[in-house]
Formats: sequence, C-alpha cells, structure tokens
Amino acid sequence: MELKKGTLHPLTLVTDEIVGILSCMGFVVATGPELEDEWHNFDALNVPKDHPARDMQDTFWLKPSQSDGSPDQASLDVGIKNSGRKVLRTHTSPVQIRYMQKHTPPYAIIVPGKVFRNESTDAGHEMQFHQLEGLMLGKDISVAHLKGVLLEFFKQFLGPDADIRMRPSFFPFVEPGFEVDVFHNGKWFEVLGAGMVHPQVLKNAGVDSNVWQGFAFGFGLDRLMMIKTGIPDVRLSYLGDLRLNQF
Amino acid sequence: MKISYNWLKSYIPQIPDPKELERVLTFHVTEIESLDKLGTGVNEDWVFDLKILPDRAGDLLCHLGVARELSGLLGLSFTDPTPQYKIPESHPTKLEIDIQTNKCRRYMGRIIRNVTVGPSPEWVVTHLASIGQRSINNIVDASNLVMFNCGQPTHAFDLKKLASEKIIIKEADTEIDFPVVGSENIVAKVKPGDIVIADTDNILALAGIKGGTNSGINIDAPYTTDILLEVANFDPTTVRKTGQRLSLLSDARKRFENSVPVELAEYAMREFSALILEMCPDAVFEDLIDSFGSVIPDSDPESSKKQVSFTTDIISEHLGVTLTPADIATILQNYKYSYAEENGNFIVHIPYYRQDIQGIHDMVEEIGRVYGYDRITPTLPLFQSGSTHDETYLKIQAVKKDLMQKGYSEVMNYTFTKKGEVQVARGPKGKEFLRTNLTDGMRESFEKNKLNAPLLGLLDVQLFEIGTIFKKDKEEIHVALANKKGIEEMTLIEYFIKNNMSVMPDSIRHPENFSLDSGSGSGMTQFVMWSPYPSITRDVSFWSDAELTEENFVSIVGSSLGSLSIRTPYMIDQFQKDGRHSYAFRFVFQSYEKTLTDSDVEGEWLKILDVLKKEGFEIR
Repeated sequence: MELKKGTLHPLTLVTDEIVGILSCMGFVVATGPELEDEWHNFDALNVPKDHPARDMQDTFWLKPSQSDGSPDQASLDVGIKNSGRKVLRTHTSPVQIRYMQKHTPPYAIIVPGKVFRNESTDAGHEMQFHQLEGLMLGKDISVAHLKGVLLEFFKQFLGPDADIRMRPSFFPFVEPGFEVDVFHNGKWFEVLGAGMVHPQVLKNAGVDSNVWQGFAFGFGLDRLMMIKTGIPDVRLSYLGDLRLNQF
Repeated sequence: MKISYNWLKSYIPQIPDPKELERVLTFHVTEIESLDKLGTGVNEDWVFDLKILPDRAGDLLCHLGVARELSGLLGLSFTDPTPQYKIPESHPTKLEIDIQTNKCRRYMGRIIRNVTVGPSPEWVVTHLASIGQRSINNIVDASNLVMFNCGQPTHAFDLKKLASEKIIIKEADTEIDFPVVGSENIVAKVKPGDIVIADTDNILALAGIKGGTNSGINIDAPYTTDILLEVANFDPTTVRKTGQRLSLLSDARKRFENSVPVELAEYAMREFSALILEMCPDAVFEDLIDSFGSVIPDSDPESSKKQVSFTTDIISEHLGVTLTPADIATILQNYKYSYAEENGNFIVHIPYYRQDIQGIHDMVEEIGRVYGYDRITPTLPLFQSGSTHDETYLKIQAVKKDLMQKGYSEVMNYTFTKKGEVQVARGPKGKEFLRTNLTDGMRESFEKNKLNAPLLGLLDVQLFEIGTIFKKDKEEIHVALANKKGIEEMTLIEYFIKNNMSVMPDSIRHPENFSLDSGSGSGMTQFVMWSPYPSITRDVSFWSDAELTEENFVSIVGSSLGSLSIRTPYMIDQFQKDGRHSYAFRFVFQSYEKTLTDSDVEGEWLKILDVLKKEGFEIR
C-alpha cells in the first residue's frame, strides 16, 4: 500500500498562505523568543509600568524568584535592554524591537508566533494562541500604504469581494492607532490593530524618527483561520486532535 | 463609559440623531461597545457605551468632554451651561488645608453649613439613571453628577465627623486598617506611601479612590447638616498603585489614574457649589480655599503653554493624502484651537484638557481621524527588501514538509504543564509550569488519536509537533514524532542534521518554498465539526479478480453509503495469492445525535455488502 501523506494543522496551512502572500509583497519573516523580558515586551513599546495601558493585556509573569536578578526598575527607567522581569510574550511586537535594533531601514518584516495571555478561555479566547506581526519602515511609508497592503492582503486571502475599513483606536506603540475590520461573507469582522510606529518606539530601538517612518499591524492567526475555515472554537487548535486537520 | 444622548444634547442642540452619532463616533472618535434606547416618547433617551482607551481617558470620561469633542469634530455650536449657574453668596471661613505631599497636585475645599440631606430632584435622578447610576442622596448625587459631567472626581465629608476644620493631605506613615464605603464592607490595608486625606486625628479617605465609612454623609439620623466639599487632584501613578494593591476600583480612581488636568478643579467646584445651592437653597456657603492660592492656572485654551509645530507636508506624508493648509485650518478652527499659520507651517496651542497631544504624531491622528480614514486611498508601496527570511522559520517549514511526506500529521499542544523548570505566577489552575519537552504532550495526543484512527482513515497514527520547550535558563525549538513504536524527540537542529536537510537562503517572493500543499487536493474548504459520539467500524475482506485501488473502490460503493457512514471507506490490507487479489476495507459509522448500536448500522451495512456481491467480489 502506498504511503499516505500526513496532514498539517490548519493553523500551519493558514499561516503558510499568509506568509506567502505577504512575502510576495516584500515582507520577510523574522522570529523571536517566546519568553521575553519586560523591556522588550512593554517598556520599549511605550507601555510603562504603573500605567493603565498595561491593563490592556493580561500577562503571564514568571514567578519572581526566577527572574534574572532583581526586578530592576532602575534599569527599566534608563531603557537598558534585557532588563526587568521575565514574561511570556503577550504579543509578537517585541520582535519588531529586536529586528529594529539589528537592522537599518528600509525593511518590511512579518513575525508569526505563539503568544500568551492570562485571560479566561472560551470559544474566542485561549491562553496561548498565535499572532502575526507586520512592520514596514521606509522614508515615506504612510497610512495610505498600510491601507494598500492590508486591502491587497485580504483580497488575496479571503477573495476579491473582501474590503476593509479603519477606525480610530489606541495602542501605546503606534500613533495614529487603528482598528481594522474586514468584510467577508456579508459581515464585518474586527481582525487587527495597526498604526504608524510611535516615534518613542523608534527611538527606543535606535531608529531615527526624523528619517524613517512606517506602519505596524498585528492580527490573531487563530482568528483569521476561524474566519476562513469556519472552525468554531479556538480551543480546538490546541487539543492535539487530528480531527482538526481537515484540509 | 456610559453617555446619555439627551445629556449631550443639552450641550449641542444640533447633535445628529443617535444612529448617525453612532457612525460618527465609531469612525472618527472611538469604538462603541453598545447603544441602547431608554424609555419612550418624551422620556426617550439613548445610552452609548463608549470604549474610552488610555489616550483619551484624560478628557472623554465625561459628558462635557464628549460634547466638546463632537462640537469640534462636526463644527456644531457648543453651549456651556456653567456661566448660567447661580453663584452662592459666600462667607469668610476658618477652613485650613495642609498639604504635606507633592503627590497632591491641587486641593480645593469648601465648607457649606445648614444643608438638608434628602432625596434628589427628579432631573438629577433621571440624569444619573440614564447612565446606569443609582441615586443615593442629594449631596452624594451632586458629587457624582459633577464627575460624570466634567470629568473631575469630587467628594463631600460630613464636617461634624472631622476632629476640627483642618484637612491634611499626606502620605500614610504607618500601616493601618481603614474601612471604606461600599456595599462589600471592605477594610483597606493602608501602607506608607498611600496618599490619604486626614484630619488631625484620623484618616478620612483614600485620596482619589474611596472615602472612609467614618467621614461620609449620613442619610439617617443624626442627619448631616454641615459638609466639606473636596475638589482635588492627585498623582496618577500613586493612585493607581494604591488602587491596584488594594483591588479597589472606583469611577474616581479611573479618572485620576489617567491624569485629571489640574485646571479642571475650578470649573468643577463652581458646578458642585451651584448644584448644592439649587438643592439646598437655605445652605450657607463659606469661601473656598484653593491650594493654588492666588496663582490659578490659566484654563483659557488660547493661552496654553503647550505648543506643537508641524507642516502641512509632514501631516500629508504620514497620512498619504495631499492636504492643504486650509484643510488643516478648518479642523483647528472647529475645535477652537488657537494657532498660527504661515506658508503651511503651523504652531498650535494645545488646550489643557488634551494631555495626550505631545507631538507631531498626535496631530497626525487629530487631523487624520477628523479628515476621515475612509478618504485615504489605499496605495501599494513599491518595496524592495534586500533581506532574507529568518533561517529558523525556514528550517521549521522544511521539517514540516519532510515529516508530512513521510506520513506524519501535525498537532499543537499546550505549553503549560503540571511540572517543569520554569513557573509562571497565577497560571492556569494546576498547570503553572512551562513544558520541558514535547513528549509528554505527544503521548496524550497519541492515545487520543489512536482511538479516532478509524474516523481519520488511518491504520496507524503518526504524529509530529514542532514547538518550544523551556529549560531553566533557555528555550529551545524541538521536534517530536510519535508512532506505534514510540516517541522520538530532538532539537530542530538535530533533526535537520540527522536528515541531511538544507534550506534555500534568499527565498523571498518564491511562494513554492512555502508551499506546504498537503496534497489532499482541496483548497481551504469549510470545516465540519466532529460528532461527540463514538463511532462503529465494520471491516470487509474479499477476493477480487482485477486489481483495485482505493479510489476505484470508493466510486463503486459510493452511492450505497447511507447517512450514518461518516467517511469514505479506506483500505486496511491487500495481498496477492494464486493470481487473485485480496483486499480489506474499513467502513466507519457515526451519528451526530447518539451513540450507535450494531442494530443501527445493520441496515446500511447489508446494503453495502449487497453492492459488493453484485460487483463480483468474493466476500470472506
């Protein structure tokens, strides 16, 4: 009997398709650690300690005895990298910082990866899930380009009838900040947060905001997978159940 | 934050209808979590629940703020009722305010004697009810009304409960238990560093968060007759830290931790006083004491000290539209921002209530959201990047492809486990550690999938996972494979080397390098949820004269499959003997409604056997 090929997790297939579309548009893949330090996950991204903005994400901190050294507010205050407590990354945005620290613009990157949020679970929420981050920096990258990239992406990913709309919102690491909804199968879905990279974030990562500007976006890969395939519950992804691999 | 349509309308007579207002707010200001109609006819009102995020929490957590924003956004006339308030006659006071910490940014106190505590007038009750707030009594209601109206939290003490007419604002110097108001009878454990309001003997309130049970207004006998109004301002970080530690939430805390502008206190005290006067016409007001003394901060937007300079070009470049100076000027004029412009170069004076506007990037948003993001034309950037994809990612993709070709199927398991070397604080119950291996998860997964093998059309289950494991001092990407012989685990690099693999560097814009086409032939179609009930399998072995593929077989029996057949039959064995072919196929039955019994499937099974016999197969 011939060897049957195996099946891949729908999340892998969806991520693969998304990476393919975006890499044709000029984005390259970057990756980073799942266990981050406070500076990369929060401070560098303009989310200071003791600020309400930290409430926007529920965090898994490591138990204190395991941090590298002391909680070290002093190091955080002066922006020393790799400082602060260890944390399971709450978003893939820290990899933006890591990439910016090591490369000179112009560049465009995407970061698919696992992230962790300390929230109660239900059909739409899990404690671990996957996100994809995008970042494009150049001399004149604008909101119009962000719209262009996202619209083209969704038309390829969901079909030519897909459309997007942008609403004002807030994330500490971008300004202006947006929520972007996508139109698919007759409905509008909230799918991603985006914005122009905040000058403070550029500064923290060693990029001159007088010369370079650009956008960043982030969406849940599980959510896009669910919108495209009709998988009804995000928790199904992580049960280790092959009945999920229907594609 | 709940906002009443009618309340807004009192500021903006020409406010658009609720549906249009919903659209305007959503696309130009902020997300609306819900919009509900209240009451009917002449009592009809609409309540918007606005999602106010940290950037606008400094000015939009009140009706005045939202009304002012709408007036600027839509260029509608704005009527501020404050100048119409009656100003009470005021008498000399002996009130003393002693601020002992710089964490109190401003303190205004005012004694009022001879108040009558009682139910509030109907209009106050209605106003509060429209935003989901309960009426308590006229004094407390007035305090809340001021906060929901202009965003400045206020408080009222029962003056007779104070040791003397001296108010002290300081940081607590010892640990002390302090009962606070509220339905849950909470006793706050005050620590040094917490800002407290006190008299010469005791703490009276946790500044900016909650008042104490020892100093509040009495609604029963003995009734409060003399009160002390507090309109103050406290350091946001300290209020937040104290509130977080004590898990005390309040509308006041929410505003203070996002920073209330110090300029707001005057307006609020005027409103607070006027409300008390209206509800207690016989009350006797004493002079207010302001910690700012005679140096009152100028709340006139025209003379704001904070300025932002920008050019029309910079705004246009960031948004990706071509704006004219006139486009920008119109927006600034509607918002009544004071500015100067020459040749497209703007200098704008930022009013005190917009603490969030710090630089050019903030003005890009101010102009952009008013202009309308829908008016920005999507444009694809011409982007040529010289970089290559991350090697780790390419390796992972290569290994996934390799394993898939070898017949392994992918699963993803949980990172959180019962035991490990790295522990999270407040993790999922019973799973506070990060996995040190993939094997444990694979073992569970393997057993589970073995049971479902028939449903999956598999004779043997072969699984893989590629994921991160966490050792005490580092994280590593591992590959784990499971089959009937056992589970093998190694690092990604080890797998790579062991299988003599390589990745193509420089694989940008080469989609085939990412193609993980699983070969099933289907593009993404729709997912079908599986049944929670167990399945039944039936196997059939037979001799066939001709050679047979699985595909042939499926097309032969296809039409005879009933509704209980949950999948196409699949081959489980084949061999040849004396020129004849022997095959064995497995059929799987399952219901979405119940657990099937043998008798449930008998009918369909016999039909299938019938078709096989008619085809000429010799069933064994």
